[in-house]
Amino acid sequence: MNWELLWKIVLIFTLSGYSILVIIVIFGGVGNIVDMLRDLRKPPDQE
Amino acid sequence: MDVFATNFQTLDWVIVCVYICIPVVIGIIVKRYIRQLSDFILAGRSLKLFIAIATLTGTELGLVTVMYNSELGFKHGLSAFHVGIIETFCILAIGLTGFIVYKLRQLRVMTIPEFYEMRFGRNVRIVGGIILALGGILNMGLFLQAGARFMMGVTGYSNPAGLKLFMSAMLIMVLIYTVMGGMVSVVLNDFMQFVVLSIGMLIGSMFAISKVGWANLFKAPPMVDSASWFNPISEGSGFGSLYVIFMVILTFSAGALWQSGTLRALSAKTPKIAKQLYAWSSVSYLARRVIPMLWGICAFIFISQSPKLLAAFQGPDALNSQFGMPIFIAKVLPSGFLGLIAAGMFAAFMSTHDSYLLSWSSVITQDIVAPLKKGKLSDKSRLLITRICIVAIGIFLLIWGLWFEAPVSLWNYMAVTGTIYLAGAFTVVTAGLYWKKASKTGAKIALYAGLLAILGIGPWTMGENVPFYLSDKFIGVMTFVIAFLGMILGSLIFPDKTKPGEAKR
Repeated sequence: MNWELLWKIVLIFTLSGYSILVIIVIFGGVGNIVDMLRDLRKPPDQE
Repeated sequence: MDVFATNFQTLDWVIVCVYICIPVVIGIIVKRYIRQLSDFILAGRSLKLFIAIATLTGTELGLVTVMYNSELGFKHGLSAFHVGIIETFCILAIGLTGFIVYKLRQLRVMTIPEFYEMRFGRNVRIVGGIILALGGILNMGLFLQAGARFMMGVTGYSNPAGLKLFMSAMLIMVLIYTVMGGMVSVVLNDFMQFVVLSIGMLIGSMFAISKVGWANLFKAPPMVDSASWFNPISEGSGFGSLYVIFMVILTFSAGALWQSGTLRALSAKTPKIAKQLYAWSSVSYLARRVIPMLWGICAFIFISQSPKLLAAFQGPDALNSQFGMPIFIAKVLPSGFLGLIAAGMFAAFMSTHDSYLLSWSSVITQDIVAPLKKGKLSDKSRLLITRICIVAIGIFLLIWGLWFEAPVSLWNYMAVTGTIYLAGAFTVVTAGLYWKKASKTGAKIALYAGLLAILGIGPWTMGENVPFYLSDKFIGVMTFVIAFLGMILGSLIFPDKTKPGEAKR
């Protein structure tokens, strides 16, 4: 088994995949926070 | 080159001090959103997908995570990556199938032991709660110590008294905002920490790789056996096949049932989001392993090129291998950016602490004290007990972290203490959800079996020539096996007289 090649692929995939995930989560997360705070302000019977 | 020489300057101190005050301010602001216990513990079950990913990553990517993974990279080279690969596949499998987490979220439980009561009755919940709290609190016992080592390595500040004072001050700040804001402030702080730390780690990786060189990264240093640098199955790597098996069982069970992570799934708005959360987060789980390991590997290559630095990590007075990564980044990251990384790491330290404190204290309140009081505990009293537990656990951490030393490595300590809870919990929850014949007796035997894992942090696991049956990996695997067999035999020999779901509450 070519371990060197495997770890190279793992490293490249991790750095690129995580970069993309971070961008998606930052943009999506801000909207989610606003929604969460709005939900928490509702009286319990509206949930 | 001086071992503790650093680029950390006054500017970096200012960045750190300002940054770590922000969570306390958030805690004060969001206190008004907390009206009931589910708001405090589960943020009102209102988490949507992206914020749930950020907060799960924020919790699971702590300073301690970075320290134990970088130590693995520093000690074992590229072969350490296998732990990340195994964990990623396990998390992805949970996300794609919804194994355990989907059903638990559907049942609307707040903690894992709450499920024990639903399925097996109150006594099992109390036993499970005690073992979970014991394993969980022991598991975070070395967080402060690892944080102090990071701090020493990065800042070059080695006065022990000053360090203890700084770590205590950080702990107090965590206690303040967790006690006030509960899960809502935890979620907001996790998000902030996710953003800063993720970006910092990605940029930091570029600095680390450029320092040692991409080609050098894939060459074993001369003093290391080439096969063991790459191959985790090779016994010389310090891992071996038994270790790999232990990692598969451990990371799968921890992925599904580690209380702080599962709490995020239980906080998700719907069971479907709980499932999606795991599938998306598999990339985060890979990053939280591989990136710190990369830093540890770069640190070892860098240190191996300097005889003075290398000498500091060899011989009877060798520095602990946890120092490798912080000493490395203190020398290669520029001032300003180093301050931001340090601030992100300290925030990560706080973020992990807050979630763990909240997890274990809510277990003590909900799963030990409340069942003992037979439900006669008001929401207000539960909140008060949870807050008192947070402070009490904080004090324990301070004492334990100052004198106990991990026998093999920080990660092995975490793995074994985690097994105390996970061996029983994974068996009991899996059988409880998917096997109709699972009985109370079987559940209790499985939970008690988890206590065997304590043997894995004893002094006999230390040293070069430990017989395999005394090694922490063997003890870890056997604990899972015994818990599993205990559940099956206990259930078959002592079946329940009542049907599942009719268990006495």
